[in-house]
Amino acid sequence: MATGKHYHDHDHGHDHGDHAPITAESKPGYYEVMETAVRELLTEKGYITPNDIRHQIEVLDSRTPALGAAVVARAWVDPAFKARLLEDGRKGCEELGITFYDDTQLIVLENTPDVHNLIVCTLCSCYPRPVLGLPPDWYKLKPYRARAVIEPRKVLAEFGTQIPDDVEIRVSDSTAVVRYLVLPRRPEGTQGWSEERLAALVTRDAMIGVIPVSLDKEAA
Amino acid sequence: MTASILQQVKAGLNELPAFAVGDRVRVATRAPIGHYRVPIYLRGGVGVVERVIEPALVDNEEEGYGRNAGNKRHYYRISIPLPTLWHDYQGSHRDELHIEIYETWLERA
Amino acid sequence: MATEDFVSRLPNDIGGFEAGSVMRVEHVLEPWEKRCHALADVLDFKKLINTEEKRKGVEALGEMLIGKLPYYERWIVAFSNISFTKGFFTPTQLAEKMAEVDARFAEQDAA
Repeated sequence: MATGKHYHDHDHGHDHGDHAPITAESKPGYYEVMETAVRELLTEKGYITPNDIRHQIEVLDSRTPALGAAVVARAWVDPAFKARLLEDGRKGCEELGITFYDDTQLIVLENTPDVHNLIVCTLCSCYPRPVLGLPPDWYKLKPYRARAVIEPRKVLAEFGTQIPDDVEIRVSDSTAVVRYLVLPRRPEGTQGWSEERLAALVTRDAMIGVIPVSLDKEAA
Repeated sequence: MTASILQQVKAGLNELPAFAVGDRVRVATRAPIGHYRVPIYLRGGVGVVERVIEPALVDNEEEGYGRNAGNKRHYYRISIPLPTLWHDYQGSHRDELHIEIYETWLERA
Repeated sequence: MATEDFVSRLPNDIGGFEAGSVMRVEHVLEPWEKRCHALADVLDFKKLINTEEKRKGVEALGEMLIGKLPYYERWIVAFSNISFTKGFFTPTQLAEKMAEVDARFAEQDAA
C-alpha cells in the first residue's frame, strides 16, 4: 500500500523502496488536512467538542496488550475467574477494571491440548480493542484476512507456529457485535510464578492466536 | 392459579431466540447487493449453534444505513467444519470456522 | 466474470481469496491517524455516524479506492461522504476548510 508511510517490518528484510519516511517536519498530507478540517467543522457546528476527541485519545492510549496479558495471567492462576471469563468475557475484563467503552461483547477462546484458536476479521478489522489496543497492520491487510479462514495451518506456519494434525484449529471470524481474545496455554515451567511475571510472557500475537506463549520470547 | 397465568405470557415478536444451542442451521444462500455482513464463503454453509448471543440486537446490516432501531433479533455463534467450506481443505477434518450470524440469515438444517 | 458477481460481492469480502504470504508489518500510528480513530469512536458513541455506517461508507468507496488508500485514509474519506449525506457540512464547506487548514500549516512551516 503506497502512501509514503514508513512500515516497521519485524521479521523480513523488507526493502522499503518507494516508501518515503515521514518525519516530524513533513508538511501534513492531504488526508491529515482532511481529518483536521472534518474535525474542526464538526466542532464548529456543535456535533463534537475538542474534549471528546482529546479524551478518547487518552482512552486509546490506555489500551495496550498489557491489559489482555493481565487477564490471561489472572485466568491462569485463578480457576474460578477463568470460568467466569469463559462464560462472559466482557464481564471478566470488567472485574479487573477494564471497561468496554463501546457496545461490543467479548468471547474468550481457551486453547487446550486439543484445540487451538485464532481470530480474524475477513470483512474489515474487528479486534478486541478495549482489551488489546489497536491491531497491527498485518491483521488488517489482505493476506491474513483472506487466508486465515481457508488455510489456517499454512498461515500459522508463516508465524513459525506448527499445529499437529491431531489438534483441532478453530478460526473465529468477527462480523458483528462479538470480539474475541485467545486465552493461550500456560507454558511449562511456570509453577508458582506471580501474575505479574506470567503476564510479562503474554504477547499480543499470542492473544490473537498466531503464536504460543513461550519462555523464550519476551513480551512484545 | 398463577401457574396458568404465567403459562399464558406471550413473548414479543422475535423476542425469543429462534434457535438453541446444538441446533443444526444453514446459512442462507441469498446474494444481496448493498451492505451485508455474512461473507460469501459461508453462504449455504451448514453448522451447529454453539452459543446464543444475548440480548437481541438491531440487524447490523440495517444499522449500516443509519437504522439504529427496530425489530431486534438474535445473533448466534455457529461452528462450521472447515473441510465443508473449501474443496481442497488442507488440515484436520475436525478444524472449524466460528462466526456470529444474525437470525435472519439462518434456516433450520 | 458476470457483472452480477461484481455487484453482489463487496470489495472487502475477501475470505478465501488467494493472497501472498503474511508480511508482519506494523507501524506506530501518526498523530492524525490516532485522532481519526478517536473521531470514529466519538461519532459512534454519539450515534452521529455509527460503526456499521462507517463500514458501509468504506465499502462504498469501491474496489479501486479501497485498494489504493491505506486504512485511516479510507475512514476519513468515508466520514466526509457520510457527513455530506447527513447534512453535517457540505462539500464546499469541507473544501474551503481544507484550504484554510492548508494555509495555516504553510504559515506554521514558514514561521
